[in-house]
Amino acid sequence: MSDSVLHHVAPDRYRRPLRQRVASVIEPWLYCAPVLVIIVAVMFVPLVLGVSYAFRDIQLLNPFSGGFVGLDHFRALGQDDAFFRALRNTLWWTGASVFLQLGFGLILALLLNVPFAGRGLAQALVFLPWAVPTFLAGLNWAWLFNPVIGPLPHWMTALGLMDEPSNILADPSIAMWGPIIAAVWWGIPFFAITLLAALQSIPKDLYEAASIDGASPWQQFRSITLPFLAPVIAITVLLRTVWVANFADLIIVMTNGGPADRTQTVASYIFTQAFKRLDFGYASAVALVLLALLLAYSMVILVLRQRLSDRDK
Amino acid sequence: MATMEIRSARKTYGTLCVLEDINLSIGDGEFIVLVGPSGCGKSTLLRMIAGLEEISAGEIRIEDRVVNDLPPKARDIAMVFQSYALYPHMNVADNMSYSLRLRKADKPTIADKVRDASAKLGLGALLERKPKALSGGQRQRVAMGRAIVRQPKAFLFDEPLSNLDARLREQMRAEIRKLHRALGATSIYVTHDQVEAMTLADRIVAMHGGHIQQVGTPLELYDRPANLFVAGFIGSPGMNFVEGAVELGTFVMRDGTRLPLPEGMPETLGGATLGIRPEHVTLGEGLAAEVELVEPTGHGIILHLRLAGAVFRVLTTDRRWLTPGDQVQVGLPAGALHLFDESEQRVAPAPHPQQ
Repeated sequence: MSDSVLHHVAPDRYRRPLRQRVASVIEPWLYCAPVLVIIVAVMFVPLVLGVSYAFRDIQLLNPFSGGFVGLDHFRALGQDDAFFRALRNTLWWTGASVFLQLGFGLILALLLNVPFAGRGLAQALVFLPWAVPTFLAGLNWAWLFNPVIGPLPHWMTALGLMDEPSNILADPSIAMWGPIIAAVWWGIPFFAITLLAALQSIPKDLYEAASIDGASPWQQFRSITLPFLAPVIAITVLLRTVWVANFADLIIVMTNGGPADRTQTVASYIFTQAFKRLDFGYASAVALVLLALLLAYSMVILVLRQRLSDRDK
Repeated sequence: MATMEIRSARKTYGTLCVLEDINLSIGDGEFIVLVGPSGCGKSTLLRMIAGLEEISAGEIRIEDRVVNDLPPKARDIAMVFQSYALYPHMNVADNMSYSLRLRKADKPTIADKVRDASAKLGLGALLERKPKALSGGQRQRVAMGRAIVRQPKAFLFDEPLSNLDARLREQMRAEIRKLHRALGATSIYVTHDQVEAMTLADRIVAMHGGHIQQVGTPLELYDRPANLFVAGFIGSPGMNFVEGAVELGTFVMRDGTRLPLPEGMPETLGGATLGIRPEHVTLGEGLAAEVELVEPTGHGIILHLRLAGAVFRVLTTDRRWLTPGDQVQVGLPAGALHLFDESEQRVAPAPHPQQ
């Protein structure tokens, strides 16, 4: 019985004309086509072009450049000490910036989560740095660190942190702290906003139950607040790390990679290669390496996060 | 297990006074239910006892110790929240043992106590689960288990059953009662559901507008409500009220209908309210009324009648075939009448209810 049904149905389907079968396969793609075209045009074309530069010799000042050079750029990169120093600087710059932003952002969020008079105003003020263009923020901080016009060196001297008022941006051993401080100032609001939102979603009666159970504020923080914040912290740190690693504005504006390349990160190195030396090919190769590193980092974080949330279930 | 004493307790938020002059003594092992409509201050009172709200004035004693300035953890009480407030990142066993772990109890003791409590509540198979993998009823049990393992001086319940469906609520109600009998711990239970109050309480504290209206056993409140509020709040369907006045020992309704009052009631009283419970109204001889609505409940029917201009509910197990518009006669037996004066207080002496 079922055999005969199959027999009757199956040939029917195969007998449909080819054009109709092709049309039915293509149909859904046609509906998606406008979006696909836009995505390809807007995202893939520039990406592929940019990636292709890494394998070509493109120097704006050399009209005879533009030829395919294969892996030459990457070979040069392997020999480039400046690149490896920039890589180490990037680690230091990204790690310190993100860690300090997270730390201060968390403290700020915890403070803003406690009701007090004028909290609305305080919240609005805290989020202000986020609205300042990074270019302006960089200039501002560069001036603050400048002993001729800025107060900071004088204050630090008065506090005994410095022997005499000098510009930390000019001191190779501590120059990196300048952009890091500016980046922390500028990035704290991001963590404060997201962590505050997460804090406010924690039910109050959990804390009440814990206080009745006998938990001290620190124990409540560890057993309620932190577990609630953990997923948000993981995702914001991931995002922030990628952004900060790619973030060259402050460094370019404040130190331009100097002194003695001590504040040169990979991102600012790419900028220097592309827009100062006008060697787009080499800059693209460096950018490609940075992209690969950040992708690898993101994968590791995402896998870790997945592991953690699996263990949670 | 402990006695509790609340003396002239007040709670104010700025100029707003939510609780005024609360006095209550609670015996050792007693099950007290605070009942009242939302906003009456019952939860605030419970939270003041727990230490989650400051006591604006007066004092609260637990076992002769003034606890006004003690933090919650020093009061040795356990609380079951309406939302259960289970720690979402801990499994059932960890939730229950959290307080013991904080107090650095040794592992075998913790394991014993968790096993005991989970056996009592039928949670044995769920100890490894996270709260989000539990049903509402199971979460409720875990919340109770968390309270039990601590063996506190008193249990506080803040509307613990209001998030459950009706069937489950009935079941948990019985379990809470059984548990109380087994543990014998002093319990204070907040609810807005007068059925829960009636079935659970040793004594009910009826609250309204920040004041205690009446304290007594469930039947005391039911049979001899101290004022109009308690009379209307306790019992379902609620008591019927008719406004009028007492003249020469007779109650005269607004439309002139006269009703004789039993012995011992005042001879004259201007502006009085007469009350009678729906189940005490008899169908048959008496005042003329018109049927407005018939609600079958299965074991009986609730009739909504229009009598002397007022809506009157009658609860009867008599399955009489009535339809809206029918004319009936109802009797209001003198022995079942409650009389309240102009200030809404009960007028003594109390008549004995006929059953």
